[in-house]
Amino acid sequence: MEIFNKIRLRFRLVLYFLIVVVISGAIATLVGIRLINTSIIKQAQNQVMHDLSSAWMVYNEKLDDLKDIVELTSNRFFLNTALTNNETGAAAKELEDTRVKYDLDFLTVTDEQGIVVFRASNPLVAGDDQSSDELVRRALRGEIASATQIVPREKLILESPKLAERAYFVLKKTPKAKPASKSVEDSGMVLKVAAPTFDHEGRIIGTLYGGILINRSYDIVDSIKETVYKGEAYKGKDIGTATIFQWDVRISTNVTELDGNRAIETRVSESVYDAVLINGKSWIDRAFVVRDWYITAYEPIRDIEGRIIGILYVGILEEPYIIMRQEIVWSMLKYLIIAVAAAMVIAFLLGRQITKPIAHLVHATRQIYNGFLPSTVKITSKDEIGILSESFNSMSHKLKQTLDEKDKAYAQLKDLNVRYLELLGFATHELMQPLGVLKGYLTMMQQSFSGKRLSPEQHEHAVGTMLRNVNMLVDMSQTYLQLSKIESGQLDTQKERTNVYHDIIIPAIESARPKLMVEEMELVIENENSLDRVDVWADPILLRIVYNNLISNAIKYGKRRGKIFIGFMGNESVFQFNVKNEGEGITEDKLDVIFEKFTRLGEPSRRKQRGTGLGLYNTKEIVTKHGGKIWAESAQGEWTDIIFTLPKTENGDENG
Amino acid sequence: MAETKAKILVVDDEPDIVDMLKMSLENASYEVVEAYDGNEAIEKAKAEKPDAIILDLMMPKKDGFEACKELKNDPEMSGIPVLVLTAIGQEISHTRYAKSMGLELESDDFISKPVDPNFLLKRLEEFLGT
Repeated sequence: MEIFNKIRLRFRLVLYFLIVVVISGAIATLVGIRLINTSIIKQAQNQVMHDLSSAWMVYNEKLDDLKDIVELTSNRFFLNTALTNNETGAAAKELEDTRVKYDLDFLTVTDEQGIVVFRASNPLVAGDDQSSDELVRRALRGEIASATQIVPREKLILESPKLAERAYFVLKKTPKAKPASKSVEDSGMVLKVAAPTFDHEGRIIGTLYGGILINRSYDIVDSIKETVYKGEAYKGKDIGTATIFQWDVRISTNVTELDGNRAIETRVSESVYDAVLINGKSWIDRAFVVRDWYITAYEPIRDIEGRIIGILYVGILEEPYIIMRQEIVWSMLKYLIIAVAAAMVIAFLLGRQITKPIAHLVHATRQIYNGFLPSTVKITSKDEIGILSESFNSMSHKLKQTLDEKDKAYAQLKDLNVRYLELLGFATHELMQPLGVLKGYLTMMQQSFSGKRLSPEQHEHAVGTMLRNVNMLVDMSQTYLQLSKIESGQLDTQKERTNVYHDIIIPAIESARPKLMVEEMELVIENENSLDRVDVWADPILLRIVYNNLISNAIKYGKRRGKIFIGFMGNESVFQFNVKNEGEGITEDKLDVIFEKFTRLGEPSRRKQRGTGLGLYNTKEIVTKHGGKIWAESAQGEWTDIIFTLPKTENGDENG
Repeated sequence: MAETKAKILVVDDEPDIVDMLKMSLENASYEVVEAYDGNEAIEKAKAEKPDAIILDLMMPKKDGFEACKELKNDPEMSGIPVLVLTAIGQEISHTRYAKSMGLELESDDFISKPVDPNFLLKRLEEFLGT
């Protein structure tokens, strides 16, 4: 589950990244493709416009060549002579040679009235009037006129029946073309030039006109293809094509049909028809020409009077542009794919960088769960995850610290509890002894005792013993109470400025007064004046226990009618206090043992009550707790002196 | 004390207890010998040849079990009946402990402290068969 989530998080990051990249990539691609399209189309259109003007140049050059030929020929001597002398035979021969030489379709001579004198291409027919022809009319006025012209069938027949035959088109059914009003086109379209012929005095004596029939003549269109497109081909198709329309009919073209034949006798599409033939505008667009898409340009062809009579067309095969566009788009897509792949790798690495510390955190959390503390993670960043890691580490340390403290406190409590139970056991056992004594004597004093009644002496002895044991019980209770105060104080001591003489020693002496009187002991306070001024930093309740115990012990183990000395000495660093009694003293090897828990010294004494085994232990605990030391000195058979120190502090705060 | 029923050795490290037991036994016409620890108990037993021994278990120097074992192992004294004083509630664990030391002690042989003098005297009579 943990791994599943981890992977999911990483893949989610990658996914988000990819979505962004793909969306922006897609937008970039669309925009790019659009830009490429527009620029390519624009380029192609510019190209086709340029090609069209080149085509016009070729077309007009052809007309100019024709003009030169006709002009030169019109002033040839033989023509002049023939017209002047009306000798047509030799001139007709000469003229026919010229026509063949320059590859003209017709070449005809008229007189100054415009009446045909002879025809090179059709010598048998003459005498017809050509003066109504605009070109001839202009030539008769002395101009050299050249233009494209539509020539009706009957006139073509006059020039040559072969021409009429060439111009005879049975129109093919063409999709998208305007509905045809006729099924046959029998007129022809010619490039024609007419020039005047002068006599030696400069009078116009006739005209010469000649021309080329464009129908089924591919000279011009192929020349355009050669000149503009250098005959380039793409996959077996011509890159560039050119067509000349007579009105809307293809009469000369190098666009081929599927069978490889030139696509003549077909017609232009309706939209081009309307734009170019009706409105006289240029027309540029992609068009499906016969069998391929072309980027095309159409412009009207006009006759000498400016009337639209046909169309000049050029077209560039669209496919190379499409291929070019595809190549550009592909290379762009290639970069896009590389970019996406790079983005994916980056996203994956980033994802890993982001999820890795999280995985570490998960691992560390598991460790904590399994009890390894403090379990920390390496902080590799300062971002939110870094902050989380840092918090986690501090939490881990804090947890460890808290648990350690708890463990320690638990151990302390356990220890205290053991000591408490130990004490309870000891106390019960100790209490049992005096209680046993009391029970025994009290039973004997009862009427129902199975033995003899106690004698007055026995009775006196029993009562004395019982009283002593009751006192011992009281003593014991007191030391246990002290101990409980000390032990509970281990958790909390309340130190304050305490005057040792007034707050501690005087009250302790007062409470010991009855015992002193019983033992007829004398108590001496040494160095009373300086003791009066001694203030210490201590818990007064605990410190009073110290003096109570020491005085009580001094009485308990001191000799009857002996003296007890309470003393004080101060040096630079510590206060030293002591309580000394007169008595049997303590052997040297026992001087340390007396401060241990539950130890009592000495053989049992009939007269005195015994110790509880806790008094000096308690005393030592309290002194130690206050930063002091305690020890015993003794002279066998003479005295015992218990000495303890307390640290001197200026304000008491340092050791508070 | 014109006549005494029997001589009893009382052993306890607590003098007040010994005093008290002694008074109750003497008032029931027994002769009493005192001892305050295990070693002394064995000495006194050898010297005085008591009819019965009242023995405390918790004593310094030599405890009750040790003393009891020594007494039982000494053919001179093995016949002397021993009444063992034990803290209340410890009879069973003490019986087991005694067994582990090779001592044949029955629960009848124990008297729990604090001792009731009437009960002690009754048990002692049963013990001595008087």
